[in-house]
Amino acid sequence: MRRSRAAYPWTWRVMDGLESLAARLWPARFEKGLPYLMLAPAVLLVGILVLGLVQIGDSSLRVLDTSTFLMSEDLTLANYQRALTESFFATVAGRSLLGSVIVTIVTLIFAFPYAYLMVRTPSSALRKFLLVALFLPFFIGQVVRAYGWLIILGNQGMVNEALGLVGVPPMRLLYNYPAVLFGLVQYMLPFAVLMLAPALTAIPAELESAASSLGANWLRTFRHVVLPLARPGLVGAGLVVVTLSLTDFAIPAILGGGSQDFIANAIYDQFFRTSDQGMGATLSLMLVAVGSLLVGLVFMLFGAGTLAMTGGRK
Amino acid sequence: MSHDKFLTTEIRRRTLLASMAAVGASATLGTGKAFAQEPEKPAEIIVRAWGGSWVDSLKAGVSDSFTKMTGIAVRHDLTEDNEIQPKVWAAVAQNRVPPIHINWDTTTNATKSALRGVTEDLSDLPNLKNTTELAKPVGLDGYPIVNTYGYVYVLAYRPSAFPDGPPKSWKDLLDPKLKGRIALYNDGIGFHFPAQVAGGGKLEDIPGNMQPAWDFIAKVKEQQPLLGEDPDFTTWFQKGEIDAACTISTNAREARKNGIELAWVVPEEGAKFDTDGLWIPKGLPENELYWAKQYINHALTKEAQQVWLDGLGLPGVVPGLTPPADLVGDPSYPTTEEDFKHLIRISSKIQVENESQWFSKFKEIMQG
Repeated sequence: MRRSRAAYPWTWRVMDGLESLAARLWPARFEKGLPYLMLAPAVLLVGILVLGLVQIGDSSLRVLDTSTFLMSEDLTLANYQRALTESFFATVAGRSLLGSVIVTIVTLIFAFPYAYLMVRTPSSALRKFLLVALFLPFFIGQVVRAYGWLIILGNQGMVNEALGLVGVPPMRLLYNYPAVLFGLVQYMLPFAVLMLAPALTAIPAELESAASSLGANWLRTFRHVVLPLARPGLVGAGLVVVTLSLTDFAIPAILGGGSQDFIANAIYDQFFRTSDQGMGATLSLMLVAVGSLLVGLVFMLFGAGTLAMTGGRK
Repeated sequence: MSHDKFLTTEIRRRTLLASMAAVGASATLGTGKAFAQEPEKPAEIIVRAWGGSWVDSLKAGVSDSFTKMTGIAVRHDLTEDNEIQPKVWAAVAQNRVPPIHINWDTTTNATKSALRGVTEDLSDLPNLKNTTELAKPVGLDGYPIVNTYGYVYVLAYRPSAFPDGPPKSWKDLLDPKLKGRIALYNDGIGFHFPAQVAGGGKLEDIPGNMQPAWDFIAKVKEQQPLLGEDPDFTTWFQKGEIDAACTISTNAREARKNGIELAWVVPEEGAKFDTDGLWIPKGLPENELYWAKQYINHALTKEAQQVWLDGLGLPGVVPGLTPPADLVGDPSYPTTEEDFKHLIRISSKIQVENESQWFSKFKEIMQG
């Protein structure tokens, strides 16, 4: 009697074979080690980054000998002393920190209603429009977007031309601190919306209805229901925006007119203009330290938001 | 700083030598015998270059004719000079083949590489004997770099913004009507030395006392200058963002060629004169090193220099070149001792030794 092919298809046999092979390679007694095995790529990646940091740390302790353009053999804290005492570095660091905080606050203010509308709108067409408008900038690089602002906000740009129509003479809209912050907010907005949207989706619409049926107006509902429940999203979005803004290079370089450098620009200059890898490494490590402290502070004050891994295995 | 040494007497001597029975004929690539024992040709050589009219000129003057004569293709790598440097340094340090065969570089930048010991010695290039002293890097032993031309950081301006006539002094940049309408290089290059004079200091005090320069730059900072790089100046003039800038004459000339209303002067305090050059990183295979040297040797021929530097509008290192028609008598195209009296030249060694400090000080003022 012919055996039915459907009774035990060949694909099952292949799977059996693979399972058998897997069992030989990774016997059942190793099962407890499986999670660690799956962690291995991440550990490897982080390990490489740590090795890089160690290397950068070593470079930061060496000063440039300008008679040979080699790094010194001796280890010294001279670069750190320079970074902490030269007013230029303090200016740039202060500008970067202040800028990242301002950009984060403004971005969250703009992103929240956008995300809320995108999540709550009953109109499918509007939701699609908002999604497309959100993702479109991701297809255009940061540099191209910055150059776009040069065209729009330049002395002979669209905005000044429009102002000229009503008799306003051309004004300098670019190459200053507000222009850099404006460019950063525009760049960060999609990131913030993307981080906020899942948090807002997780808030049941019925809660808002319940608050409303209990007499709360829209403002009270927003303040006492939506905002507290959206906090994880706000924290997550804030962390992403503040770290990306703090370390941004292109927007300050292009929209700042050369006089609004952020820390990343100063690091670039040390590595590539003055060939001082030691100083560049020092500033890099200090940026990592300041960024980590900032994130740690937010974690302490507000928790990790949507970035947190809450709860253990039940 | 006197330029007698590298222009007048030397040029006369070199001119004489050059005219004596074509001494370099056997070394010129056009002669077939030159490569009787030539090593294997690579498929291509890679030359790092600046983009735009810079690479166009190099291609027209040197690369195309080199390819025609040798059959070796020339690929131009437009990586920024500052960014190729650490790659080359890392390759040499790790005993890897460097990513380029020839670096077209500022002499200041190239001097760093020479001091670091990553450059090949070019003293044996036959065509060096036909060049002026300008080809020799100042303050270095031998020829780790060959300077190929000089250039001037002029005061470029929009004539319509100066209805009373061209600016005469760098101090004219302090005119209140130019607030927010001037530009400098973002590392201050080209401006430090004239600023030293404009600030009441002496060139002899560089680098010991540059306070006059910093004081003058601080005044310029009050004018809210834009700070950028070569392509920015052209864009800013074109878009009506600025009326005056301290920039290399080549950029100003290129902008004028593109229809932008522009002129330039060497102000009474003088203008910085500097050089660019070609060098070869260590670590190339022997045959590729040979052909890379031949490329530089070819770049030192009168024919190649004439076409290359016509495009750039800059004075070369081979005697007898004809200035472009639009630059005859132009102060940005110095050819005589008198021309050089108005220009400021500081050795590359002093510049590289103090660059980091000057850079920080300039940034401190401008970013404050």
